[in-house]
Amino acid sequence: MRLRQKTDGLLNFTDYKQVGYRVLYGIIVIFLLLVVFISIFPLLWLLLSSFKTAQELYSLPFRLFPNRFDLVKLKEVWVYLDFMKYVWNSIIVVIGAVISSVLFNGLLAYGISVLKPKGHHLIYVIILGSMLIPATTAMVPLYKNINEIYFFIEDTFGIDRGILTFVPLWLIAGANPFHFLLFKAYFDRLPKELFEAAEMDGASKLQSFFQVLLPMAKPIMMVVAIFTINATWSDFLLPYLILQDPAYQTVMVKIYSIQASMGTLMNFGPDKLLTVLLFSVIPPITLFILFQRQITSSVATTGIKE
Amino acid sequence: MKSSITPMFPMPSRWSRFKLQLLKDYRSWLLIGPSLILFSFFIWVPLLSNVYLSFFDSVGFNATSFVGFANYRAILQDSLFLTALTNTVSYTLWSLLIGFIIPIVLAILVSEMVHFKGLFKTGLYIPNVVPGIATVILWTLMMDPNPGGFFNLLLAQIGVDPQPWLSNPDMAIPLIILTMTWKGAGATMLIYLATLQTVDPTYYDAARLEGANLWQRFWYVTLPYLMNNVKLLFILQIISVFQVFYEPFVMTHGGPNNATLSLTQLMHRYAFIDGNASYGAALGVIISLILMVLSVIYHLLSRDKGETHQ
Repeated sequence: MRLRQKTDGLLNFTDYKQVGYRVLYGIIVIFLLLVVFISIFPLLWLLLSSFKTAQELYSLPFRLFPNRFDLVKLKEVWVYLDFMKYVWNSIIVVIGAVISSVLFNGLLAYGISVLKPKGHHLIYVIILGSMLIPATTAMVPLYKNINEIYFFIEDTFGIDRGILTFVPLWLIAGANPFHFLLFKAYFDRLPKELFEAAEMDGASKLQSFFQVLLPMAKPIMMVVAIFTINATWSDFLLPYLILQDPAYQTVMVKIYSIQASMGTLMNFGPDKLLTVLLFSVIPPITLFILFQRQITSSVATTGIKE
Repeated sequence: MKSSITPMFPMPSRWSRFKLQLLKDYRSWLLIGPSLILFSFFIWVPLLSNVYLSFFDSVGFNATSFVGFANYRAILQDSLFLTALTNTVSYTLWSLLIGFIIPIVLAILVSEMVHFKGLFKTGLYIPNVVPGIATVILWTLMMDPNPGGFFNLLLAQIGVDPQPWLSNPDMAIPLIILTMTWKGAGATMLIYLATLQTVDPTYYDAARLEGANLWQRFWYVTLPYLMNNVKLLFILQIISVFQVFYEPFVMTHGGPNNATLSLTQLMHRYAFIDGNASYGAALGVIISLILMVLSVIYHLLSRDKGETHQ
């Protein structure tokens, strides 16, 4: 029993010599297992309900498990909605956003943390200051500015915006104060001698960025990339406002539009909506399982949740 | 002998020093320039033009004529504004009541665990990676007011009549907050947990030597250690819940009868449904001002506290 070896925390081995505290410990374990169950249960319910027919979903008495695990229903919903189209749109947005987020937030942090040109502190203060005002409150002019880019593209080049519809969603990921701060905190801890040595060897700023900084910045780039994938896949408000052409909707916008028009869709009830939800949570949960350690440890150290 | 020494290199004037500095720095600025353009375009310029637009009439999304504070007056006289403000305050209070203590308690308990620690951390964090839209639709479906809705089926098992859930104006806000807490509590817990794991065990040992019991150790060691986190996350939670948008937007559409309409949702309604961009902008400014005042109050309070302790 490892409780006898516990030396840290509120309760340690000296306390666990008493039966009372060991009982308390047992109660806490059971309580936490219960909380974890509550935390995971809605996802379990989603998984199991996705396989149910409309009739099964609403029938009394309540049964947790579907009558059978038939992939036919999942496939039906996928094909009926032409869901792959929306998954592709989301993937295109995510890839562009990851590149833009790592590149632009990383370069800015490199500038502020390592190069420190005159005036760098002012920029840092402006970034922190603007974090106090949530960007959501400026949704109206942001929408207007983005539309002006669209009109500019269409008027100047005389082309349909097409895939360029996604450009604002790529670029906005490059202006993320949280990801900038993640990079900056990481760069601040790197030994400055490395950059000085590179400069003595005659490396340019850009060269020392690529040759000195990037190889060492891999872990933090990884973290920012994972956060960006998750945030972009889940993003709703801005995509909802600007992706008006159904052909370019992302998964989240599509799911919302299905839910909003539930009553009017033929043969598309809550049971099928659940199946769609299941599709949408598989990628982020897979990502979490793969990169669990990076995600939980950087949430813990930086206090940045998404 | 010369009476004065002429320096071999004349001291550069202020202006030429400035030019030298610029020359030295221009490569750095070139590197961060694109990022600064993005921050300006997506954050700083919208924040400023929001203020500008709020003082003008608008056609479509373009400012037309200067109207002073007319938009602000109109909003303050709109009964919907008062409704949305009351609701938003209610969201905030409920979130402090339901969502604030839970992560603290969980973190303290998990940090004491010797067994299943990884399972607890992972299991509690997982809802956080579920996309927000999926989360709210999932909970809306579980709270289906039909007798066959999941929550109602559970109630039926114990012989309770079906509930209207989100269609009940008195329950809607707490239920939305419950959904948000389910998604967010695990991540907040991890932040507290990280701090708890840095507590030096010798503090507890010292307290034990002084004869402190469990409660006293908690009160005099654990809690002071967490206090900075608690204060920071308190204000961050208020700021984030104050902007609540897509949760009521998707779960209740602001209903029943505007009982869950939030301020940001009203802003969206003004600008994108009523087609009045100026009202939307002005309400955006009002929300920002409220949040800035809250931040300032918080900073003043936490500074006073710090001084009295010293």
